[in-house]
Amino acid sequence: MPQRIQVDVSRIEPVLNEILNTKSPPVARCRLLSSGFSPAHALNISENIAGHKECLGCGNCVDICPFLFREPYRRDRTEQRTSMALESTVGQDCDQCYACVLMCPQVDTTIKHYVVNRRLVEVMSRLEQRIGDEEEPDLDLLVEEALEM
Amino acid sequence: MDFSLPEELRMIQSLVKDFVTDQLKPLERELLGRAAGLADARRSLPAEVDEKLMGMAMELGLWGLSVPEELGGVGLGALGCSLAEEELAQTIVPFTFGDVSPILFECNAAQKESYFLPLFNRRKDCHIALMEPGEPAGRADMATRAERVNGRYIINGRKLSFSVTGRDWFAVVYARTSGAAGDGVTCFLVDGGTAGLSAGRGPADTGWRSQVRAPTALTFTDCSVPAGAVLGQEGRAFHLGRKWLPSRRIVRGARAVGVAQRLLEEASTQAQSWQSFGQFVSRRPDVEAALADVATDIHACRLVVHEAACQADEGRLTRRGAAVVKVFAAEMLGRVADRVTHVFNGPSYQEGLPMEQLCRDMLATRSLGMAMELQRSIITRDILKGLKV
Repeated sequence: MPQRIQVDVSRIEPVLNEILNTKSPPVARCRLLSSGFSPAHALNISENIAGHKECLGCGNCVDICPFLFREPYRRDRTEQRTSMALESTVGQDCDQCYACVLMCPQVDTTIKHYVVNRRLVEVMSRLEQRIGDEEEPDLDLLVEEALEM
Repeated sequence: MDFSLPEELRMIQSLVKDFVTDQLKPLERELLGRAAGLADARRSLPAEVDEKLMGMAMELGLWGLSVPEELGGVGLGALGCSLAEEELAQTIVPFTFGDVSPILFECNAAQKESYFLPLFNRRKDCHIALMEPGEPAGRADMATRAERVNGRYIINGRKLSFSVTGRDWFAVVYARTSGAAGDGVTCFLVDGGTAGLSAGRGPADTGWRSQVRAPTALTFTDCSVPAGAVLGQEGRAFHLGRKWLPSRRIVRGARAVGVAQRLLEEASTQAQSWQSFGQFVSRRPDVEAALADVATDIHACRLVVHEAACQADEGRLTRRGAAVVKVFAAEMLGRVADRVTHVFNGPSYQEGLPMEQLCRDMLATRSLGMAMELQRSIITRDILKGLKV
């Protein structure tokens, strides 16, 4: 639920690129770079939280993460569905697909547009490479068959 | 957490146990050659005995335990197969319940009639020709090549097979091919009598040396096979049987448990029947400790295998889980064989004892040193990519 006036990416581009280049889920740091809660948020609480940048705990980033989809036992290590839980469970195994950034309701649309327009093209070739790696068969299993049949 | 086995699996386990005790174990003496001074030891069962046992297994509904139902088998899951394998591994008699490599589950309709069913019904044997002399096992850049000429494939190269064949046989041959999609390895089904294919002489069938397993060399010299001999897709040989192969590793873990269990029984019998310095060997504290350690090891390994088998049946088996089974089972069997050797107070290669054959099998599982290191590295990678805290 970002504010009407969102962060100008041209001013944060170097640090944003640094974040996106790091092999770790970038959603939390992108959220902190964003504008925070809009004053028009719909949360029914007395405190004024306009401009706050906390994780809502909606779990969208955990649900969309392709790594946690492939290895669900990692996800089962914690009940939390926050960006911190995502960072803890995925760590440096992040595919850098940026799906978590695009799914987070607290990340500014300007940052999402930047990710889609500038970064996803290079992401696709890397993800295709990863698909190729996962297709790699376990030759050891075939050797075991050859030795034992 | 429920550690009890389902009723139907316990019934199969009991059925296999009775079959092994009543039908297979009595044949051990003949196979080991102990009836005639070890000179008539055999590597395999006589054909008529094998056929009789096969008929009995079929009557009991045990034939093809691991083969999918659509191919005529029982289609048992990993846990069921593990329970059966643990019982079957407690004898040195080389008999399986119609075990067929999952690579051949990918046969098409014509190949099923010509190769899969004859193998399943023991009318044919099969050489799995993956390895090559002088090359590390399973290397993707293999020297054997198959060139496509006028709609046929011409195979040239040399292969090694560890399979035991006595009857009519065929070979599952891995060879490098060049296709439209680039270079790859293709699997071919080649009949034993095909022109251009020659098989080196295997080891002797009788005598003590028959217990030693040596590879058979298969030489392909301009061996021409039709395009219909390709198993699966061209260039995709290493992808064959992927659906079934990982759970086979769990079943091999169960085999290690079975062998260790038999070694424990042999050691217990030995310790209770031999005396030294006026005392039964079983009363000696170091022998007591050895037996206790062996039993503890077996129990732990059995639990590891059963857990992984349940995960495999539920589709949750991870590479780490399978690697843990392989490493733990192989190391456990090594420790057990070592302790049992001390209980016997003699080397584990004493001729004519079941222990000899069991220890040979144990060495075979551990001799794949590279493979064991690979499994360890799979486990380590998974540990290091865990939680950062």
